Amino acid sequence: MSADYRLRSPADRLRWLVASWRAIVPAATILVLLFLMTVPIVLPWPALPQLGLLGVFVWATFQPGLMPPYVAFVLGLVADLLFGLPFGVEALLFALTALFVRIFERRFGHHRFGFDWGVAALVAVAHGVLGWWFLGLAGVDGPLRPLLLQALTTTAAYPLVVLLCARLQRSWLA
Amino acid sequence: MDWSPPSRRSASRREQNLALIGAVVSGAVIAVGVLMLLIDRVNPDQGSRLRGAALDVVTPVWSAVRAPVDGLARMNGDISDYFDAIDKNRALGLELQASRAAAQRAGALAAENRQLRGLLKVVEPQVRLVATARLAGASSGGALRSAVISAGSLDGVRPGQPVRAGNGLIGRTLETGGHASRVLLLTDPASRVPIIVERTGQAALVMGTNSPQVEVRDRIGDDVPLRVGDRLVTSGDGGIFPPGVPVAIVSRVAEPPLARLLADPHGVGLVSVETAYLPVPPPPAEAPATPVPREAGGGRVKPAAPLPPPG
Repeated sequence: MSADYRLRSPADRLRWLVASWRAIVPAATILVLLFLMTVPIVLPWPALPQLGLLGVFVWATFQPGLMPPYVAFVLGLVADLLFGLPFGVEALLFALTALFVRIFERRFGHHRFGFDWGVAALVAVAHGVLGWWFLGLAGVDGPLRPLLLQALTTTAAYPLVVLLCARLQRSWLA
Repeated sequence: MDWSPPSRRSASRREQNLALIGAVVSGAVIAVGVLMLLIDRVNPDQGSRLRGAALDVVTPVWSAVRAPVDGLARMNGDISDYFDAIDKNRALGLELQASRAAAQRAGALAAENRQLRGLLKVVEPQVRLVATARLAGASSGGALRSAVISAGSLDGVRPGQPVRAGNGLIGRTLETGGHASRVLLLTDPASRVPIIVERTGQAALVMGTNSPQVEVRDRIGDDVPLRVGDRLVTSGDGGIFPPGVPVAIVSRVAEPPLARLLADPHGVGLVSVETAYLPVPPPPAEAPATPVPREAGGGRVKPAAPLPPPG
């Protein structure tokens, strides 16, 4: 606690706490998205969009301060737990996504929605290829093509996640 | 000036430091991630407790969410059953006639089989039903093809037990929580099931490919060709799956042969978990290798008398 905190009135302190409580909104959104992905629909291929990845991507563009790579890493560990993957696969992918968005935004600034969608598609494909490679590194070998199929559905789901995160941003973080 | 101007650098320096710390932590985290992957390679079972706990958190929520849907489906079924009752009754009557005849033949065969086995003193492993559970989760968004069922270690489920539905094999349990466990489905690339082709008796492996169809691998006796429609049943090799459980039907005979799974997990409601057919006993603890003291020759063995030359 800084001297700042001690100088504040109780009402101010409460407001400060509430404001910092809002900092968990992005992470909480992604946790809910990850939970949604465990819906008991058993499909023969990974056809559900990787909503957690999209969440990390979108929050890293909206609120870079609240979605640093290490927070994304912890969220990825939760994803690994929920999907039964070797520890570190999604964790590494989420962290790399947050890092990529951070560097990319700093370099190229903000863009139109369509351009961001294209970048999200590239990130989804990279997620498939790198994920396949990381799985191989962790000793789980499998075909690559189903993971690229997931990249397609992930790209298709991007606008929905943007809509959700934008609404949360307006009502909680604006 | 006798006082230095207020430093405007401290705030920006603080920011710079924070950014630097953030970058260092991010880099460290990524390095840790790579390390974790390598540890996974060596020790795939790490954190299985934690995984089980995660299943326990997720499963009750989905069980609650799907309860009304299941209820509606059941009600829908009840209503259509009511209207179809007469037709269904007639069809069932005919089926019963045919099944009775088949059951009589099977009964005679079973009795004969028992007799012959008695003569040969065959010891049959006992397979016991562990639990019947509902599918309460899946990983359709990840690279692993798995489902979560609502029975766990408290119900007696252990890793490495077969899971089957009424019409065929589903997979085997992978990790267990208290009230939920993860099932590795047959469609996962890591899944291997020893099977025999029912028509020819050839042994083979059924391997998942992360797609709706499974691949038939390592078939013994390649000279006898497969036919489309051949049924594949478990052989009982490997000790997990009991023999004779239907697995798949051959759908393509060209290399690599493909087969369609009989139990489609998408439509499955309840599955049953059984004990492993012949559980592999834990490996015996190896005796520690005692170093041979230098005084005893340092482990070098005196060369034995030369063998007489052959022939």
